[in-house]
This record gives sequence, C-alpha cells and structure tokens, in this order.
Amino acid sequence: MLLETRSLGKDFGAVAALRDVTFSLSPGEVHGLMGENGAGKSTLIKLLTGFHQPTAGEILLDGKPISFDSPRAAQAAGIAAVYQEINLIPERSVADNIFLGREPRKFSAFTDKARMLRESAAILARYGLSIDPRQPLRSLGLGLQQMVSIARVVSLGARVVIMDEPTSALAGAEVDVLYGVVEQLRREGHGIVYVSHRLSECYRLCDRLTVLRDGRVVESAATGDLSRARLVTAMLGREGAAPADAREAVARAITREALPALSVKGLSWRTRVRDVSFSLQQGEILGLAGLLGAGRTETMKAIYGAEVAEKGEVKVGDRRLRRPRPSESIRRGLAFLSEDRRSEGIFPRLSVRSNLTASVLPRISRFGIVSRRSQNALVAVYVRELGIKTAGPDGLISELSGGNQQKVLIARALCTDPNVVMLDDPTRGIDVGAKAEVHRTIRALAMNGLGVVLTSSEVEEVMELSDRLIVLNEGAVAGELATAGREPDDVLAILAAAEAPAV
Amino acid sequence: MSDRLTAIAAGSRLPNTAWIRASSVYIAFAGLVLLDLIVTPGFRNPAVIRSLLFESAPLILIALGQSLAIGTRGIDLSVGSVMALSSAVIGITIGMGQGTSIALGIGAGLSCGIVNGLLIAVLRIDPLISSLSLLVAARGLAQALLGGARVDLPFNGPISWLGGATVSVVPVTAVIALVAAFLFAFVVKRTTLGHYAIFAGASRTAAFLAGQPVRATLAFVYGLSGLLAGVAGLFATARLGAADPNYIGVQFELDAIAAAVIGGTPLSGGRISTVGTIFGVLLLEVLDASFIMNNISSTYAQMLKAAFIVGALYMQRAGA
Repeated sequence: MLLETRSLGKDFGAVAALRDVTFSLSPGEVHGLMGENGAGKSTLIKLLTGFHQPTAGEILLDGKPISFDSPRAAQAAGIAAVYQEINLIPERSVADNIFLGREPRKFSAFTDKARMLRESAAILARYGLSIDPRQPLRSLGLGLQQMVSIARVVSLGARVVIMDEPTSALAGAEVDVLYGVVEQLRREGHGIVYVSHRLSECYRLCDRLTVLRDGRVVESAATGDLSRARLVTAMLGREGAAPADAREAVARAITREALPALSVKGLSWRTRVRDVSFSLQQGEILGLAGLLGAGRTETMKAIYGAEVAEKGEVKVGDRRLRRPRPSESIRRGLAFLSEDRRSEGIFPRLSVRSNLTASVLPRISRFGIVSRRSQNALVAVYVRELGIKTAGPDGLISELSGGNQQKVLIARALCTDPNVVMLDDPTRGIDVGAKAEVHRTIRALAMNGLGVVLTSSEVEEVMELSDRLIVLNEGAVAGELATAGREPDDVLAILAAAEAPAV
Repeated sequence: MSDRLTAIAAGSRLPNTAWIRASSVYIAFAGLVLLDLIVTPGFRNPAVIRSLLFESAPLILIALGQSLAIGTRGIDLSVGSVMALSSAVIGITIGMGQGTSIALGIGAGLSCGIVNGLLIAVLRIDPLISSLSLLVAARGLAQALLGGARVDLPFNGPISWLGGATVSVVPVTAVIALVAAFLFAFVVKRTTLGHYAIFAGASRTAAFLAGQPVRATLAFVYGLSGLLAGVAGLFATARLGAADPNYIGVQFELDAIAAAVIGGTPLSGGRISTVGTIFGVLLLEVLDASFIMNNISSTYAQMLKAAFIVGALYMQRAGA
C-alpha cells in the first residue's frame, strides 16, 4: 500500500471535522474522494499534505507511520496536492515555474537555464503536453497551467498526487488533456487522489470511490460495484436527487401572451455577442447553451447592461432599457446572477445580511437610513424559502459553504422583485444537495410566472431544467430547440451544422 | 476527559488572539499612556492633555475622511495640502469678516474634495494618482495665494476663540471633532451611503452588478474627505493663530493613513472602524508628546514612531 490512513481524526476546537477515517491508495490507483461541501474532503487533504496535524489516528506511507509538520515536509516525503487555483508565477516561464525554488545550479551561483529547459521539455513531453517551456505561464490557458503545476509536483518527486477539483475550471478539450495526464501518472505507478463534484468524471477515471459525509467514510468501493444511485445516496445521506419533479414543467402553463417578459433584438457587443435576438415568455425557462467561450456570459451581461452593447434593443415587458446598466435593469425588473461567485458575487468579510440586501437598500431605507429590521426580515424570509444554512444575519458570508453563498446571491436577485432573472451557471462549484435545491428554486420561480434565462457548464443540466434552448456559437444564435424529449446530442448536432459567423 | 479539556482550550485560544488583534490599538494606547504616567514627568498635567487634544482635533477629522476613502479600497493623499489651502484661503479673505473667511476656507476644502472625487469617479483616475496630484497642486496654490508668507490672524473673534476655547480641559475643536466622528459612525453604519462605500471597498464589481451607484459613492467619499480636511485646516489655523501654507498640514496625510490603518481599517477595503481611527490618532499624538516631553531628539523620534507603527500593525496583521 502506497498511502494509508488508520482511524484518522481531526478536531477543530470542539468540532470534529474528521472522524475515524480509514483510507488507502495503492501505486497506479486513481482513488476518487467524494462528498458534499463540508463533508471533510478538504480536511483530509490538509492532513495528508501537512497543513494540519491529526488529533487521532495515523498516516502511513509505504506502511510506515509518518507525520508532517508542514506541506514542505509532506512534499519531501512524496505527497503533493494540485489545487484549482494555480499557485505559480504567471509572469515567469513554464520552465521557471516547474523548477521554482530548486533551480539547478551552475558553478554554484548561476541558474543552469539550459538544463532547466531540457528537463522541463522532457517532463512535458512525457505527459503528452505540447507546451514550449520557454513561454510565460500566463500565455497558457487555465487548463494547461494546471498541467504545468501537475508536472511540477511530479518532478518534485511526488508519488502521491492529490487533485482537488481539477476540472472545475477546464474547458472540454482541456479535460481530455487532463485525462491523458492522469492515465500517464497511473502507468508510472503514481497514486492519485481525485476530488471532484462531477460524477461522470469520477466514473470514467477512478478505480475506487470513497465517499465522506459529516467527517466519516460512509462508502468505499470499486467504481464498478457502486451504482450512481448508491453513490448519490451516500453523499446526501438520503434518497436524494429526486428526479420526481423533473418534468413538472409539463404541468406548468407557459402563458403565450402577446407581450414577452423579455425581448432582445439584434444585440451585439464587440466580437463576443453577434446580433443575438430572442424572446422569453412569463413562466418560461430558457437555456443558453454552447461551448465555453460561445458568448453565454457575455450575452447575459450585455442584456443586463454590465457591458454596454454597441447595437440592439432590450425590452423588459414593454419597457425598453434606454441606458443599459445594472441599476437600470434592476429597476425595470431584470435581475442577474454572475457565474463568478467569488469575485463578482459575494462581498467577502461582510455579513449575510449585507450581502443579501445589497441590491435593495434604497427600498428598505427612509431618509437614507437603512432599516435594520427590514433587512433582518428579508434575510429571515429567504433563509426559510431557500433553506439557507447560516448562523444568522450577522454571520459572515465567507463562513458559508459554496451552495449557501449561492443561495444568498439568488436571494439578493430575488428581493429586487424581478420579472425576469438571468442565472449564469448557478450551480457551478456547489455540491449535489445544494444543486438539487437550486434546481427546485429555479422551477419554483418559473411556476410563479417569472421568466428565467439559464446557463450551465453541463449541457445535461440546462437541458433538464429549461423548456427551450438557444444554442450559441461564437457569439451568434446557431439554433433553437424545445427541450422535451431531446438529448444533449441534439445540441451537438446544431453546433456541428453551424457555420462560423462572418466577422 | 483530558482530550476534551485540550479541545476546549484549543477552541478558546482562537477567539483570544482574534480579540487581541481586533483591539490592538486600544491595548497599545493604554500601554503607552500607562508607560507615560510612570516615566514621563509632567504627563498628568492638564495642560498637556489639553494641548494634546488641540493637536488631535484636526487629525481626527482628516483621519475619518481617510478611513472612509481606505474603506472603499482607495486613499486620499491630498488631505494635508488641502488643510494648507483652506488655511491660505482664510488668510487672504480674513478682511471680509471672519465668518465669511471661515466659510470660504471650508469651501476651498470641499471644492478640492469634489475635484478629487470627480477625477476618480468620472475620469476613473486611480485615487492614489489623483490625490497625489492634488497634494502637490493644493500646497502650491496655498503658497501662491499667500506669496509663501505667513499671515497672522487677529487675536479676537471666532477663529481665535476656536484656537483657545475649552470645556474644562477639552478644547472646543476636539468636541466638534468627536461630534463629527459620531455623525460619521452613524453614516457609515446605518445609511445607504455608508453601506455603498463599504460595498465598493469589499468588491467593486459585485457592487456594480448589484446595481449600486458605485461612482456617485466614490465622488461623495472624496468630497467628504475634502470637506473634513477644510475644517481641519481651519482648526489648525486657529490653533496656530496664523495662516501658514508652509507649516499647516505638512505630512498630515501620513499620520491620517497610519491612524486609520492602526485603528483597524484595512487597506484592502470593505471595513471602517471609527472608534479605532480616533484611538489611532490619539495614539500617534501621545507618542509624539512622549518623545517631546522626554527630550528625545526629533531625528530618533521619527524612527521610534515608525517602529511603533510597525509594531501596532503587526499586532493586528490578518486581524481584519
């Protein structure tokens, strides 16, 4: 056994973050580590990589008990983690980054550049990466940057590579490159701990799956022996994923009134949004599909007025948005949720109350003085309606899990009393349970007669939720289809048929 | 059992250090005052306290404006020069009657603030740059207005009164500064404007997407900072009994920044501590007084002050 933990436990103060975790990894194995946010995955990773020290149990490497007092010590012993955020220097070359902090020396004072380039090129080639080691890291896409950090830890001598949600930031083709790298690591006998929210990915890559819940191991089995249903049940701790309400959309009457809730005509913004037109009815969920970079986010932002479109017209109900900007859109009943929760959504270090009511301050204040009571009342309403788990209105937003932060942001959009909400990938990076709740919320909004525009990084998700789909290709509308009874392949067919739009 | 006790102890250790960080300015202030009471001769003398508060009043005003600017993740380097400009305007208009003169001096400060605010909000110039250019321009204008000379002010009337009047040992200017601080805290904590300022500092993009008037907020913030600097210029002029463009407000912006940051307003924005800022000012003033009263030469005093500021900031590192 390459790596093993026995009855590992970790307490933070009076809170037990991890209890009695027994886990093992053999050479050449890809071991999926799954669980909802807060299940203890991060804590386990931090124990394995020496960020934290266990309060109970032991970690064995090659059968020998070990303890690390720092990530550096863990790395020296051969355990390293690759995180979603790249902790490298974007301005320096790929080779510099691979050898950061342990540059080969020449005459003991000078960096041996030639050797660095040679060895970097060899490592990159071994993993099938066509990257010039001389180019600066920032010139690579996020995906390849991640591959460079994997190459770095492997060249540091890591035998156990922990990948923490490696694909959450990757586009389609980049995912295949990652899979190639993982296969090569496996062939070379590295052990890989693979953390991901995406079930299909884990089924494809992992030999074994271990599920954590509330800090304990609740399931651990060979991938082939574990059905999706059992896996999801283990993660949620209940018969989750209830697809029972999946097609309640059928029961929902989309009112085909003369007046659409939102109509967009000939909208163009730079080269990213080209002549986009569509309309949305009250009670309808419209999905925007397309590959990464097809202009889904940009279309939403141009409609919302976060980017100023050069051409085109946006009408909410019968009111045309004349001066496109967020405050105007909100006043007209159009709300927007950004896909980038961390830098465009939450106000870090501020309370749940401040975050939730950020868009409606004028409405809940008199003579410029904000009513604390109205704020708390709004928080109470949405905590109840959306099932937000928080210590209270004074709790800091950053202390909430990703899913609950997202719910606070959805609540922020909803308390503006919109007729139309645009949700850009609302389930990105949140766990399965929260995902199901967000889905329920979206359907409930449409039931109540709101128009919803939706995107998702997963085509299946957007197909399942929406009534109608608009497929974007390079910023232009490539086609449209009603989703009932269709498959993701139909979207691909539209994309395949789409010609590259004239510049 | 013993495990549990350790766990409890470990759990309670965290809040304790957080508490020390959050209150570092008060601890440092109390410690310094205690030290002075023991070692500094004459520190108990009410005259010392009075003089100290006289010096503090203008600095409190500009430190409040500064903490608001820093709270929006900006900075206002112009405050010291704006004080000088306010002083110079009082100097040249003193013949028009003291009331008019005071109003024009404060108005000059407000105008500077509005210019700064518009540069930042409309032309989207970085506050560091716009306020730096104002730092140079306002001082230059002040010197030009008075021909570089000092203008003595009359010994009677409201300006002279502001320069000397006290309620028991507390100067009237300090009382005004504290009332201003109270209003300021109310604006920051309870009004939409205060919320918008903090939101703009916490995440400008998120504030914009949430439909908030980010640019108007920034214009207001720097306008208010200019207004406060105008009043501070009046106070400093009244205390000195003269309009002096070469003396008033020199390097006050640095003390204002230090006071705000020591007081717990992080440079990364999104948080403003009014009480902390006031104690930051008092701390710096007591520090200056301690050096003077112990006959420490000003060259060494500067270095000691720097060391003290670094120490205070170290105590609250990451305490935001």
